[in-house]
Amino acid sequence: MSAIVAITRAGPLATIQDAGRYGRLRDGISASGPMDGGAYRMAGALAGADHGGIEFTMAGIELKLQSGQCRIGLAGGSFVARHNGNIVDWPGSVLLEEGDDLAVTPGAAGNYGYLRFDHALALPEIMGSIATSSRARLGGLEGRQLRVGDVLEMVPSTAGASMPALPPQAEQGPLRFIWGLHADLFEPATRERFANASFAVSRQLDRMGVRLEDGEGVFADATILSLVSDAIVAGDIQILGDGTPIVLMRDHQPTGGYPRIGTIITADLDRFAQLRPGSLVTFSPVSVAHARQILRSQQP
Amino acid sequence: MTDASVTDTYPAPTIVPLGDSALLVRFGTRLTDPANRAAIALADLLESEPLAGVIEVVPSLVSVLLRCDPLAATDIAGELRLRLLSLGTAALPPARDWTIPVHFDGPDLDTVAQTLGMSRADFISQHNAQALRVLATGFAPGFVYCGLHADDLIVPRRADVRAAVPPGTVLFAAGQTAMTATELPTGWHILGHTDFANFDPGTTPATQLKAGDHVRFTVAT
Repeated sequence: MSAIVAITRAGPLATIQDAGRYGRLRDGISASGPMDGGAYRMAGALAGADHGGIEFTMAGIELKLQSGQCRIGLAGGSFVARHNGNIVDWPGSVLLEEGDDLAVTPGAAGNYGYLRFDHALALPEIMGSIATSSRARLGGLEGRQLRVGDVLEMVPSTAGASMPALPPQAEQGPLRFIWGLHADLFEPATRERFANASFAVSRQLDRMGVRLEDGEGVFADATILSLVSDAIVAGDIQILGDGTPIVLMRDHQPTGGYPRIGTIITADLDRFAQLRPGSLVTFSPVSVAHARQILRSQQP
Repeated sequence: MTDASVTDTYPAPTIVPLGDSALLVRFGTRLTDPANRAAIALADLLESEPLAGVIEVVPSLVSVLLRCDPLAATDIAGELRLRLLSLGTAALPPARDWTIPVHFDGPDLDTVAQTLGMSRADFISQHNAQALRVLATGFAPGFVYCGLHADDLIVPRRADVRAAVPPGTVLFAAGQTAMTATELPTGWHILGHTDFANFDPGTTPATQLKAGDHVRFTVAT
């Protein structure tokens, strides 16, 4: 049976996402997809979802099931969810009947949460994906963020029943990175300070990138370099002309010409995306082989 | 512009990891004609004879990105070195020829002509004299870099960045002419605009121009 969800409150930058629009860098389009891929998959496992879902930001989101019946999986960060006013588990899943409300409000931690459904979102695929790209302004609902009054139609899913999901790994410690494309352009002393200093997540963060505050002035003397434009990947740590480090995220520009000192490893990028402004981070270099080993150890 | 082959003397590539899920093959650290041709040729070679474990091949100005599955245990770098051995004799992919009419009505046209010590008409004529190669798509959807212009047609970028220029804007800097296909910020000079739309997410492929294609700009009538 199909189902219809209406958005009754939308925080800023809530978007439709799926696993990502991979393979389109040749057209100048980065993949997008969930900022916290692990949480997205967990919400999917809790709902028995096939693909697609809502990514919302710190302010939360509210919706009403206008028709049908629908199981919703909830995960990502630590938010407070209420089903018709009654608090439900986070992460968890909830079965909505026609007319039911689901309200998600800010919680203790995290920038991104996910709602996924035991239905498929009936949205047109753009180049093979329904993920919203805030940079290219395509996918999802007309390439834009969700707003009050949006109505999402859903069709029965072909995926299996809901299954238990692994709890998210409470990984702590330094963010591990691989020395980057332009690491050799930084003085050895600067590289050493980068790997020992702490940085703060700034308030300037979105799906394209997260600016860091360099309180110790590691890059204070960085000279503006004019570099040939080269491919960017999510997790790249680039240093702007004024010395500001910025970590490029899922809606990154596909190529860029600022120097990049390193790339956060895949296994640590979800955790980084969830760090709120003011959080202190340190960086620790690892080899490619080690990064892949860590990633393998995270697989269920 | 010579496109017959990559020549036997393409710049020696370096293979560097870009995180744990990609490799970058770089033919240099600055934009040169041989480096660009080598990047296009390698991307073409890897498209026609894919490497196991590589899930996306993307040419840029002087490099090729290989995205790979970080959980697969394939030795891509080793296989890649073997492929690079055959690159020296690989021909560039057959180029398609495009003619793109431009309305030369941009706000920086006179500044660019003056900087180069030319009249507006002379600049337009020289700008359009040679067919250019699509050097790369990048930066934004359907954004293409075309070049390289002759040495006497090179101007640096502007000091200021314009916050937004519309799709179809024709840009000029650093020996290249570029075209936007979406609204974006730019520090390049604006020569004018074109009705040619390089990007349509509803079509396959979404972009018409491909790295290696030949573009001849004309004055729109």
